[in-house]
Amino acid sequence: MTDRLGRHVSRLLGSFAYPLTTRGRTLGTISVAVTTYCLLVLSTFPTYSLQLLGADLGYLDEALLALTANTYRTTGAVGLALVVAYAVTTGVALTVAIGRVRVAGRGGAGGLSTVLPGLLASGCASCGAGVLGLLGFAGALATLPFHGNLLRLAGLLLLVGYLARLGDPRQCSVAPPADSE
Amino acid sequence: MDGPDSISTRRALLASVGTVVAGGGVVYAGSQLGSDPTGRSSSRDRPPFHASSESTGFGIDLSGHPIMGSTDASLEMYYWSDYQCPFCQRFETNTLPKLVDTHVATGTVRVVFIQFPYLSTGSLTAAVMDRCVWRQLRGETPRRYLAWHSAVFDEQGEQGSGWAAEDNLLEVTREVDGVDAAAVESCLQRDRAGIESSISADVDRARRLDIGATPAFIIYDPATDRAVKLVGAQPSERFDTAIAELRNA
Repeated sequence: MTDRLGRHVSRLLGSFAYPLTTRGRTLGTISVAVTTYCLLVLSTFPTYSLQLLGADLGYLDEALLALTANTYRTTGAVGLALVVAYAVTTGVALTVAIGRVRVAGRGGAGGLSTVLPGLLASGCASCGAGVLGLLGFAGALATLPFHGNLLRLAGLLLLVGYLARLGDPRQCSVAPPADSE
Repeated sequence: MDGPDSISTRRALLASVGTVVAGGGVVYAGSQLGSDPTGRSSSRDRPPFHASSESTGFGIDLSGHPIMGSTDASLEMYYWSDYQCPFCQRFETNTLPKLVDTHVATGTVRVVFIQFPYLSTGSLTAAVMDRCVWRQLRGETPRRYLAWHSAVFDEQGEQGSGWAAEDNLLEVTREVDGVDAAAVESCLQRDRAGIESSISADVDRARRLDIGATPAFIIYDPATDRAVKLVGAQPSERFDTAIAELRNA
């Protein structure tokens, strides 16, 4: 049991270290993280975001600053930290998933067909708070217990769990013999 | 010489530290953005207030709602808010004073304040008290309403922290010149059920207009029967544009 936990922690660390192995991966991860953060924050009040950005894309900074402040005021430091953590983890997950596909090939075991469903499932569950907003329930989030923080936390844990299974895509994981469990 | 595990661990550590620093920066920035240092314009004391029992061409029943601006204003702006909504506070601080200077004080627009309490029970308490304060002031000193309204938004704290509890709001009311807190308290005890029912009708009407979050606005031109809807604490230029579009239609 402890060994299994250790292996998961080790793979999780490997996942988070992987984006730092080359400059391209680091920049790619940061780009995805920043984009995800922007989308998540804008989706907290989608009608407002759409009206403002529909009028002029130059309002992007205004919308991001206003909704970052609003997220902080509504969900507290924990809520905003969860959004940041989710954005960063999404960047890592996407980089690791791409790395896995490159190493294993699109059709091979551990390739696209294995990686994509997990990534989509984790991602969709994780952005649940954002999806609620996009569906027009921006006000409903504020009335959820802990202002949707539990939903965000659950989604983040799913993504972390996904990364703990994936690990560093350059390393093959070999299942230990059954009697060693 | 370091092995691959050591390098991987170091990179993971670096990634963790980077994440914490970046995340901490965003959270800190968020906290600073939330505390807007700009004060409210003194111009907000100038606009007249009036009461009305009519229904507008847009189907809004004006009775019980504070109306800021001239009775002859060519445009009407319906403003739905919740005293516990931080985005409403942002609008009150950053945008409303400019709108008052540019469009209300000049007689172009009158603003109808409508409560849309949806965040918690504190929101409803504040909304009921809002009605009580307006009932008291609308006859003789309607302009004093804005002082009370602003004082409550200034007092806004974390949702659910108790700042919008009846006792605390009465304490805020006592500090507003020209408002009789004892009379407001009596109104709360005597008329609360009826006022809640009226507010509930307002909320239902707002939902039929597809309003689900605050602040929300509909700017209406009775002459042409055209309307523009804006949501969220948008900058004043967006209101300028909407008003110009309606006036030039």
